[in-house]
Amino acid sequence: MSPCLTLDSLLCQAQGRTLLAIDRLTVVHGERLAIIGANGAGKSTLLRLLSGFLPPASGALEVLGRRMDSPLPPRELRALRVEVGQVMQGLHLVGRLSARENVLIGSLGRVSGWRSWLRCFPADELTRAAGALHSVGLLARADTRADRLSGGERQKVAIARLLLQRPRLILADEPTAALDPAAAAEVCRLLVAAAAEATLISVVHNPSLLPLLADRVIGLRLGRIAFDLPVAQVDERRLVDLYRPAAGDEASLRPASAAIDPPARLAALS
Amino acid sequence: MITVRTLESRFLDRFAGRIGFLALALAYALLVLACLASLASEGELTLGRQPLANLVKTAGEFARPSFLDAWFGNPHLEYRSDDGTLLRVENRQEVELAYLAGLGRATWTTVRIATLGSLLGALLALPLSVLTARNLAAPRALAWPAKTILDVARSIHTLVFGLVLVGIVGLGPTAGILAIALHSMGTYGKLFAEAIESLDMAAIDAVRSVGAGPVQVFFNAVWPSVLPQFVSSHLYVWEFNIRDSTILGIIGAGGLGLLISEATSLFQWGRLATVLIVIVVLVAGFDAASRRIREALL
Repeated sequence: MSPCLTLDSLLCQAQGRTLLAIDRLTVVHGERLAIIGANGAGKSTLLRLLSGFLPPASGALEVLGRRMDSPLPPRELRALRVEVGQVMQGLHLVGRLSARENVLIGSLGRVSGWRSWLRCFPADELTRAAGALHSVGLLARADTRADRLSGGERQKVAIARLLLQRPRLILADEPTAALDPAAAAEVCRLLVAAAAEATLISVVHNPSLLPLLADRVIGLRLGRIAFDLPVAQVDERRLVDLYRPAAGDEASLRPASAAIDPPARLAALS
Repeated sequence: MITVRTLESRFLDRFAGRIGFLALALAYALLVLACLASLASEGELTLGRQPLANLVKTAGEFARPSFLDAWFGNPHLEYRSDDGTLLRVENRQEVELAYLAGLGRATWTTVRIATLGSLLGALLALPLSVLTARNLAAPRALAWPAKTILDVARSIHTLVFGLVLVGIVGLGPTAGILAIALHSMGTYGKLFAEAIESLDMAAIDAVRSVGAGPVQVFFNAVWPSVLPQFVSSHLYVWEFNIRDSTILGIIGAGGLGLLISEATSLFQWGRLATVLIVIVVLVAGFDAASRRIREALL
């Protein structure tokens, strides 16, 4: 199996603070990887690195065979992004365009010139878009504007866009944030289906969704990898350890975090 | 001593806002008083010699708009001199019909002035608004002059532009079109810049994240979010200009304003009433249409 991405002694800093320090990480094609960790642990930073929105300070980073140690030239960066699909926290659509047009944006990597400017997409892409919307169950809402859709529907449109984009690597940053449990499970199911032929890396906050989204789980704590395990071996104790406040601000953070983090609250009760 | 000072500062902290507002309100009241008192002392605060009688007379003539004569006018109105000689005979119906035809042409002129002036203003404002929109961060050397041009254009009234332009390009609709364009350019620039500033960055990121090039990002994310706002501002200013251009005729730009100044200088209140009815219908109709379209767009 060829590696989809490799990170080697990677360091990422902002304003003198280390956001991410990873010694070694390899993900092979077709893996389902989930990244968990408290707020500020570096999860989103890692995703931004992988999609080329942020360059690393030092170390080696290779994504889909492209070395990204230094910022890529725009043309190469765009070529990379064609192959990297992204699902963000529900805000990642063009609000004024219809669901169908948002799905068609996924084909911009293939469609060029005036057709992509006037949004006159070729017939086969239109058929594909309708098929993608059908498979996420939104064909009936295809011509509704994206900003009139519910949170769950918006995520499904983003997934349908992935189906059209057909990327080799999918990055999902808290794709189920602000969704009710049923919608969250549905979105996870669709996301995994969309990633059938791709590598899927997702940032997850809700531990109960881990088995749906991943076979391998990486716990990030203060920018470092705390554990890297198959999903079956991630137990309560590891989650409590992962979400435990850092030593410095333990006293000030404990009451608040105990109230917010489900694992911490469980630990407090037991 | 220290406690007194802290008490004092605490008092100030708590009431500083209200005291400031009170002072402003007081200053405003003083200004109003000064205006009234000075006008009164100059003897200018009067309503003329017979305000009531004049009001009744004018209102009476207003109540019978001249267009009614086109149907109900005397077809054989005789003008006679004091000794009873017949001077001439006039068909009131024909005269008023001819006036209505002229009114139609004037209305069309006014619409043409407003439409072309608005379009020209919008086109002139477009590049300037791109330069002044803060989120596009144009170089200051360009942004500052652009902002100054827009501010100056907005602060000079259409009528003033019109007076100056009549001297340059002569009497006629061209002066009106240019006057409307120059003044509304300032308004357009501000509205367009605000539309650009409220751009949805998440939409841009969404399109960029699938590997779209800059032109594709423009047409798929920037254009769809900005265009409806541009069209909406255009309709709004256009509607405003329809109203504005009715007055431009007074300074010689042609259109309805010319008929207004004609009717007022001849004290033909009936005709003025006809012209005003046309203006109200025109503006209200355009207002309703543009509101419909704007609601559908946003």
